[in-house]
Amino acid sequence: MAENDSGLAALLEAERGALLRFLAARCGDAAEAEDLLQELWLKAAMTPTGPIANGRAYLFRMANNLMLDRARTRRRAMRRDRAWIDRDDPAKGAAELQRDPAPDAEARLIEAEEAQLIRRAIETLPAGARRALLLYRFEDRGQADIARIMGISRSGVEKHLALAMKHLRRSLADCGYFETAPSAQPETARGQAPKGSSTR
Amino acid sequence: MNGADELLLDQAAAWHVASASDSMDWDGFTQWLEADPLHGAAYDEIALADAALDDHRAAVGELSAADAPHPPRKWPMWIGGALAASLAVVAILPEVTAPATQTFASAQTSRTIALSDGSEVVLAPRSRLSVAGRHGNELALDGGALFAVRHDPNRTLSIAAGGLRIVDLGTRFEVQTDGPAVRVQVSEGRVEVRGDALGQPVQLMAGRGILFDPAHQLATVEAVSPADVGEWREGRLTYDAAPLSLVAADLARYAGISVTVPPPLAGRRFSGTLSIHDGDSAVRDLAQLMGLGVSHSGSAYRLAEGG
Repeated sequence: MAENDSGLAALLEAERGALLRFLAARCGDAAEAEDLLQELWLKAAMTPTGPIANGRAYLFRMANNLMLDRARTRRRAMRRDRAWIDRDDPAKGAAELQRDPAPDAEARLIEAEEAQLIRRAIETLPAGARRALLLYRFEDRGQADIARIMGISRSGVEKHLALAMKHLRRSLADCGYFETAPSAQPETARGQAPKGSSTR
Repeated sequence: MNGADELLLDQAAAWHVASASDSMDWDGFTQWLEADPLHGAAYDEIALADAALDDHRAAVGELSAADAPHPPRKWPMWIGGALAASLAVVAILPEVTAPATQTFASAQTSRTIALSDGSEVVLAPRSRLSVAGRHGNELALDGGALFAVRHDPNRTLSIAAGGLRIVDLGTRFEVQTDGPAVRVQVSEGRVEVRGDALGQPVQLMAGRGILFDPAHQLATVEAVSPADVGEWREGRLTYDAAPLSLVAADLARYAGISVTVPPPLAGRRFSGTLSIHDGDSAVRDLAQLMGLGVSHSGSAYRLAEGG
C-alpha cells in the first residue's frame, strides 16, 4: 500500500490503543468507543494525507471532533424534542397538523435568543479575553498569531481564551442551553451524570 | 455554584483551548477524563459553548467590526473593493492585503457563476456581481441573482445589494435590486438582512421575503412561495401585492423592455403572474390586469391611468 495514501490510517493502527482509551474516556462506553474508532478509521482512510505536521495530534483532534459532533447532534435533537413536548397540546392530537409553521417560528426565536445571549456574553468579557476570542473565532487567527498580534505570551492567549469559553458556557448554562432533557429523564445507561444539572 | 465546579470548568476550558495545539497532551487529557465522569460533562459544555459561537457566527459577527476602533461602516463600502475586505481585519493587522475585486456581468441572458467554495450564483440578465474579500465572501449585487450557498461554518457570505446587506448561512435565495430598493426571497434555509435604514437585522426563513424601498420608507416582510423563487428562469414572474415600480424594474431586466410608470402609479400594487417570454405581451397583460392604459414607441412602454 502506498505510504502517502494510507499514512493517517497506518498511524491510526499504531495509535489504536491510545485512541480507543481516549474515546472510551470521552464517551464513557467501551463498546461505543469501538464504533467511534471504526468511524474514525474510515475518515482517516478517506482523508487525502497532505503534509500533516503532527499526525498523532491530528488523529486525536479528529477523534475529539467526532465526539463534539455527537454532542451537538444530541443537544439539538433533545432541544427539538423538548420544544415539541412544551408545545404539544394533547387536545389537538394530530401531530402532523401542528408540525407545520410552528417549529420554524420556534427555531427562529431560539436562534435569535441564542445569538443575543452570545453577543451579550462576548460584550461583557474583559477586554483582553474579548479581543483574543474575536481574533480566534471571528477572524480565524491561530493562537500563535494572536499572541503576536496582542503582543503577549502563548500561555497568556490560552488563559484569555479559556476564560472566554468559560464565561460563554456560564451565560449559556444560565439560560438553560444545556438542559437537554424535557423532564427528569435519567440518562443512566452510560453511568454518566445527566447533563446540565451535574455541573451546578 | 461551588468552588469545585469552578475549578473543574477551569480545567475543562484549559484542555479545550489546548486541544487546538499540536503540543496538546492527549494522554494527560484521557487520564483527566477517566478520573471522573463529571470531567467529561464539563468538557462537553465548554466545547458546545465554543461550537455555539460558530453556529451563530453570522448573527454575532457584527461585533468584531463594531469593536474595531474605526468609524462605523458607511455605504457604499463596495466602492474600491480592496477597502471592503473586512475593516476589522484591517484594524488589527494592517499588513493584510486584499485580493482584487472580481466582477461578473451578464448581458441579455443569465449566466451561472461558481464561487470558490462551491456555492453557485445564477446572475439574472442585465445584472452585475462583484466578488471581493479575503475569502472571496464579500459580494455586491446590482440587478438580480439567485444564490445557492453551501454552508461553511468558517465562512459567511455577505452580499451588498441596494440599501441592504444580506448575510447568508447556507441556503437558496433570490435578490433583486432596483437602485437602493431591494427584494430578497428565501426558498431554503435562512438569511439575515441588515441595513442602516433597518432598525435591527431581519431574519428571513424559507418562505419569507423582504421588500425594501427606502424612497418610499417601505420595508415589508412578506410570505413567498418557494416555488416562485427564481422562476424568471422558466420565463415567469409572480407577484403578490408588489409595487408597480418593482414590476417595471423586473420587466426591464427579464423581458428587456423599458416600462415607464408615472409617479402616481408607482405605488399601485400588482398581484398575478406574467409570462416574460415576450416583453410586449407581458406589459399588455400587466396593463390589462391593472386596468391601465399602455402606449409605446419601439421597446419603450409607458403605463397610464385608465384603459
